[in-house]
Amino acid sequence: MAITRRELITGVAKVGVPAAVVGSIGAGALKSETIPVPSAAVGLLYDATKCIGCKACVAACAEANDTPPDTRGDSLHQAPSDLNDVTRNVIKLYKPENGSEFSFVKRQCMHCLDPACAAGCPFQALHKDPESGIVSWTAEKCIGCRYCTITCPYHIPRFQWVGFNPRVTKCELCQHRLAKGLKPGCTSVCPTGAVIFGPRPVLLLEAKRRIETSPGRYYQNRVYGEVDNGGTQSLYLSHVAFEKLGLPELGPESVPAKTLRWQKRFYQYFALPAVLYVGLVQVIRKGLRAHEQEAHEHEKETGLRAQL
Amino acid sequence: MSSAALQVDRHARDHRWERNTPVYGFPLVNGFFLVLLALVILAFVLTGYRELAGLGPVSGMNDAYGWGIWKTFNVMVLTALGSGAFAVGIAAWVFRRKRLHALMRMALLTSFLAYASGLMLLGIDAGRPWNFYWMVFPWNWNMHSPLAEVAICMSIYAMVPLALENIPPVLERLWYFDSRLRPGVEKIERKLYAGFPWIIAAAYLLPGMHQSSLGALMLLAGERVHPLWQTPWLPVLYLGAATFMSFGCVAGTTMLCCLMWKRNMDMDVLDDAARVTAYLIAGWLGLRLLDVLFRGALLTAFRFDRFAGVFWLETLLVAYGGWLLWVSLRDHSPRKMFVGYVLSSVGGMVYRFSPTTLAFRPNPEALYFPATIEILVSLGFISLGIVGFLIAVKRLAILPAPLHEWHNMANYFRFRRPYIRWTGYFKYGYFGEDESSEAAKS
Repeated sequence: MAITRRELITGVAKVGVPAAVVGSIGAGALKSETIPVPSAAVGLLYDATKCIGCKACVAACAEANDTPPDTRGDSLHQAPSDLNDVTRNVIKLYKPENGSEFSFVKRQCMHCLDPACAAGCPFQALHKDPESGIVSWTAEKCIGCRYCTITCPYHIPRFQWVGFNPRVTKCELCQHRLAKGLKPGCTSVCPTGAVIFGPRPVLLLEAKRRIETSPGRYYQNRVYGEVDNGGTQSLYLSHVAFEKLGLPELGPESVPAKTLRWQKRFYQYFALPAVLYVGLVQVIRKGLRAHEQEAHEHEKETGLRAQL
Repeated sequence: MSSAALQVDRHARDHRWERNTPVYGFPLVNGFFLVLLALVILAFVLTGYRELAGLGPVSGMNDAYGWGIWKTFNVMVLTALGSGAFAVGIAAWVFRRKRLHALMRMALLTSFLAYASGLMLLGIDAGRPWNFYWMVFPWNWNMHSPLAEVAICMSIYAMVPLALENIPPVLERLWYFDSRLRPGVEKIERKLYAGFPWIIAAAYLLPGMHQSSLGALMLLAGERVHPLWQTPWLPVLYLGAATFMSFGCVAGTTMLCCLMWKRNMDMDVLDDAARVTAYLIAGWLGLRLLDVLFRGALLTAFRFDRFAGVFWLETLLVAYGGWLLWVSLRDHSPRKMFVGYVLSSVGGMVYRFSPTTLAFRPNPEALYFPATIEILVSLGFISLGIVGFLIAVKRLAILPAPLHEWHNMANYFRFRRPYIRWTGYFKYGYFGEDESSEAAKS
């Protein structure tokens, strides 16, 4: 006998009512959730109008992080075409065919306030420091699943494809230099001050001052990273559209907040799965008793041992 | 009762699946089996090379496509086919479609094999697998990560509830193997069955969680997944695809086995499974199309590009497969039913494969095509599952059969192959005895 309508309705009610109660409580808890800005958030401010594309920062980054020069292009020059397993910082050039304005762009980790890489990382190998807000990678926790390379909306973390002990490479804002009281490698060598280091609120004020003093110079008169993707700690000023420089328009809500809302609600305190589990046990217990009874009768009828 | 009615009744009885019976009279080792075995061994050797050389030299994965077919096909697609223990189980136990109990052992076995081989490949695909020990300490989990949910939940599911559900056929074989083992086996069985409600409930909750989380994985990829696939409903659609695909896998494999090893098909059971599958497909397709419509992504399906092609391919495959299943209920045609299962499952497979690979656009220049070694390893682990399946159905009572098949098997081993001692069944048992527990007591 298949399940009757009455049983279906009562069953759904038995599981659904507590589930709805738990869900609505969970929903309330989720609404109040805001992205906390780290107490001592530090970051970078990159001004594309000041960058001359000398790539001193690329060399300084490699030196500061003790990574080998990437000469895989022509076996001669250190000329990485993009971020990769030995390149944490790269200068790219946007130059349209039609001769309109060109721009350099420096790419490195954005140190998002709500990083998607850390939201997806299964065992917290990518971790956002609650004080400095630096997103860093821990070798001892990483299982090498490469989910960070899928989730990061800026496509920053890179996996080492060769070797038995692969690492994930990304800008960690030269934490080891900060501890010694030094500035990150890239900001310490920039000849034009196109990239500067400092506390995030200070950088934000500086960026807004620049926009105010020369209105019309910057794209949309705004700072990329103030609110984009929930806010980032690497801030950008540019005279060409941010999208052309590989900084997608993601809106003011962070990627994890946008996409994992229901996932979070369902697994909040593990309450909903627990309610479902208890309900399932009850239903199956009842069915199992009837099934055993039937198997027993069948055994008597055929003289062959019951198969459950 | 007239003799005609009796005749009809007896005829029906001949075809009714009443007892799971091992496949007998066919050798386990044949050419096909040896080819599979060679593929498995080759895959193990190549796996050793992969662990030393890294992922780059053996695969087509790159910075843009961080995930290759090991994850996106062997895990994401094949565990959907292997969700039979979940979907068929819920239909039989929770919605009490009793006839489907005949397919239960097939469902449990295919699930276990698909999950086991998928999990092994997940371990090989991980770049730093030695750090998996972190899984043991829950305070290291990132509770909000869909991937943590998948990794933890899948391993627990395959190693505990699913493995325990697969134990009864093994115990049964021991019971028949030697009458001296019977008291011990019966004791273990009693304990196992006492825990079954909790085990079975876990075996439904956990796959429900991780099969939907597999869909949630690609939510974080945002706009890099084509709008025809990227939707907040992705977890639900992934779970839904797993339900009808696994019905297709369980019922389709059973039909194939019946053809291969010349067994009777119980059209009552198969009709029931096909009806459930057709409903599941209708519901899933409805949700999929409504979602595409209400998000306003339908227009992109009419552009002339590969994404639109893949979308129509999977939609039409699933729809036509579902239609064939529905028609097969009318004219009781096993052929249409089988083709319907195959087409709808293939459509579902394309759907599960798309968000991570076919419809994943990290950047315009990025390309991914699996390397030879990658494909060989993937095939090797699929072969491992098939090898396990062939051994299991020929040595354990997995496949459903009419009652007379069991008696035929007993006769076969008794009189035609008395020298096959290791086959197990009826070695020390008294042939023709009353095996029921009542007879044992008196």
